[in-house]
Amino acid sequence: MVPVFKENDAYILGVTLHEARDRVTDKRLEEMVYDTAKKALDAVGLNRRDLDHVTIAACDELDGRSISSMLLAAPSGAYLKDEIKATDSGLTGLCLEATRIRSGRFHLGLLVSWNKSSIAPFEDVMRMRCEPFYTRPIGLNMSITDGLFAGAMRGADEAKASQVAASYGQAAARNPRGVARTPAGADAIAASPYVSTPLREGHRPPVTDGAIAMVVVSGKWLNDNPGKTPMARLSGIGWSLESYQLGAERLSSMSGLKTAYSNAMADAGLSGAADLDVIEIEAQTAYHDIATREALAIPADQIVSPSGGPFAQNPYFCAGLVSAAEAVLQVAGKAGPVQAGQVKTAAAIGFHGFAHQGTVAAIFQEVPA
Amino acid sequence: MSPQQVAVIGTGQTVFKKHHDDKVYAELVQDATLAALADAKMTPDDIDAVVFSMAPTEFVGIHDIEKWSVDSIFGAGKPLMRIHTGGATGGSALHAGYTHVASGLYNNVLVVGADRVAETPDSQHVLNLIWDRFYEFDFALNTVTMTALSSQRQMSLYGTTEEQFAQVVVRARANALRNPHAHLKGKITIDDVMNSAPISWPYKLFDCCPRSSGAAAMVLTNLEGARKKCTKPAFINGIGATASTVFQGDKTGPKADVEYADLAELEIAGKEAYGQAGITDPMREIQVAELYDPFSSMQFPQIESLGFCGRGEAAALSDAGAFDLGSELTVSPSGGTLCTNPIGVTGLVRAIEAANQVMQKAGDMQVSGVRNAVATAIGGSAQFYTCSVFGADHL
Repeated sequence: MVPVFKENDAYILGVTLHEARDRVTDKRLEEMVYDTAKKALDAVGLNRRDLDHVTIAACDELDGRSISSMLLAAPSGAYLKDEIKATDSGLTGLCLEATRIRSGRFHLGLLVSWNKSSIAPFEDVMRMRCEPFYTRPIGLNMSITDGLFAGAMRGADEAKASQVAASYGQAAARNPRGVARTPAGADAIAASPYVSTPLREGHRPPVTDGAIAMVVVSGKWLNDNPGKTPMARLSGIGWSLESYQLGAERLSSMSGLKTAYSNAMADAGLSGAADLDVIEIEAQTAYHDIATREALAIPADQIVSPSGGPFAQNPYFCAGLVSAAEAVLQVAGKAGPVQAGQVKTAAAIGFHGFAHQGTVAAIFQEVPA
Repeated sequence: MSPQQVAVIGTGQTVFKKHHDDKVYAELVQDATLAALADAKMTPDDIDAVVFSMAPTEFVGIHDIEKWSVDSIFGAGKPLMRIHTGGATGGSALHAGYTHVASGLYNNVLVVGADRVAETPDSQHVLNLIWDRFYEFDFALNTVTMTALSSQRQMSLYGTTEEQFAQVVVRARANALRNPHAHLKGKITIDDVMNSAPISWPYKLFDCCPRSSGAAAMVLTNLEGARKKCTKPAFINGIGATASTVFQGDKTGPKADVEYADLAELEIAGKEAYGQAGITDPMREIQVAELYDPFSSMQFPQIESLGFCGRGEAAALSDAGAFDLGSELTVSPSGGTLCTNPIGVTGLVRAIEAANQVMQKAGDMQVSGVRNAVATAIGGSAQFYTCSVFGADHL
């Protein structure tokens, strides 16, 4: 039989999201992770024993425990498996997973990430991300750095940010995988309190609890298992970390985004945003959306974040990976009420660190029947 | 399609000691970076991507510390990710660096990190916090008492004695005399170990590793890069890893998949790595083992899990000098983790020392005729294991 798939290419076989809630009170984090990982494997007719590796993306500090994978590796399916944890973001876990599959060393993996945001003292954790000599004493945290980012952007004003946040909220309200909320209008958002001028409370989504698991396989595995049909090919991946220093150039240039995106697009053999049917942006503030569109020259009629992005659900650490899941669902034609027609190619863009210091871009493409 | 060949062409370390009072974390990690780049005959611009090795940040007190360090290691604007699997972090970071290159996504990758374990007044208090909040948190479980329990089990199963553990310490400290980077070193006797302060039976003070601060870095490249830049690269010919249960009790008793006293998960990881590297007779084919042994009792079960001898045999072989410098299998010629334990990079230091042996760059520690060397790392509740095989010849 002639192999159909390139052996070392990475494919998404399945995606499972834990039910999105503001606060999950009836499960421990271990139970949330177990339920999600198990459901992901069940959905594609596989057993934990079939896996040859597990990739975890998690943050000790947001989990509230040092080496949190000690208690979470087994619920993630990693018992007696080859397992590695990345700590930057859920979407960074996809980068690590891509290197593992594409190395030819691994063929069937489970990528698991989570954030029980409701138990994390979020801004305390963020403040401890500051080095102790200059930035910590002045009280820098995530809100302030996002405010600095918003203030440094040229051509963006509060009214526009309020409109963008409102449109995200409206999209999120249509997404069955999001937390059910009545979307706020642009006027209400514009009247919400300042968090860090010019960033207002309504310009950013609330954090929620959540978990995600992706079954990722190699082309070789698919050739060996012809009964299994992938949802999408992970055709491009790129990531970048910018300088720690928060100068005006660093805040406004979006150079890390441009690097990650161009690398991912080159990896996928695509040239520009016009080659993408959908772009899912992990917009932790409305300004992230505005800046991303501008930096990547995204056409005005481009379909962006039909899922509502983090405004639908925002398990902060893995929100970028949730955006990737939404992109995969679009390519597979399984996005439900937020499906954007026939989608052949979709991108997910995620951020991590203070003021988008880290960026990841992932490209998913349709797998012809 | 087979993975691309991956080679080590440069390594760098700082001196390891309790405190580096003259440098901040970001400066330490820069020192190791510059040393590794110089060793690889590269400049920062030659590096395509960075893998950052750092375990719990609570010892240092700065979360996401790699993001602060990025400018110091010339990583700004490049792909960078941090890996963290507890004590196994350095081994896992190496494996992540390996897949970065083997995937063909990047040609030249820097694996780098640092730790300052003694920044916190009591690292074992931090290490109590790694356990389950409801079952193990509230009694005095930490990495010392945890491994003391497995040591007692080892003594019960195989008759290993405290003096045999002490001999491991004597050998490690003597080997470390040749290592310019080692934290603890010196000529000591079995009596010195036996008479050191009791910590947690069977451990005395000298049976335990120090809290070390310092940095380590390694430059990886593909076959083409290795041929251009290095006359004697160390090829990463095999990688294996195993994650296990957090609960020690699950690793005892008749229904256990793995035996706690044996650190038997390493056997799984070792077999995988050996299979990739084509190692069928480890005692004959591997000349050096750099082991993650923060406590004296952790050396014998690793030697046995890696197939150098049968279960329960390593202690007697150790007594007979079978693992001394220059013997058929030299174990931890650097002095190993017993002498130096900067947790976030300890596994990377083990890999560096193993690779240096293969590259014939180990200085006074060099064992003659090394063609293959193995390095291990262990993390969590003796739960996360990595095994890496380095060879003078590529596959």
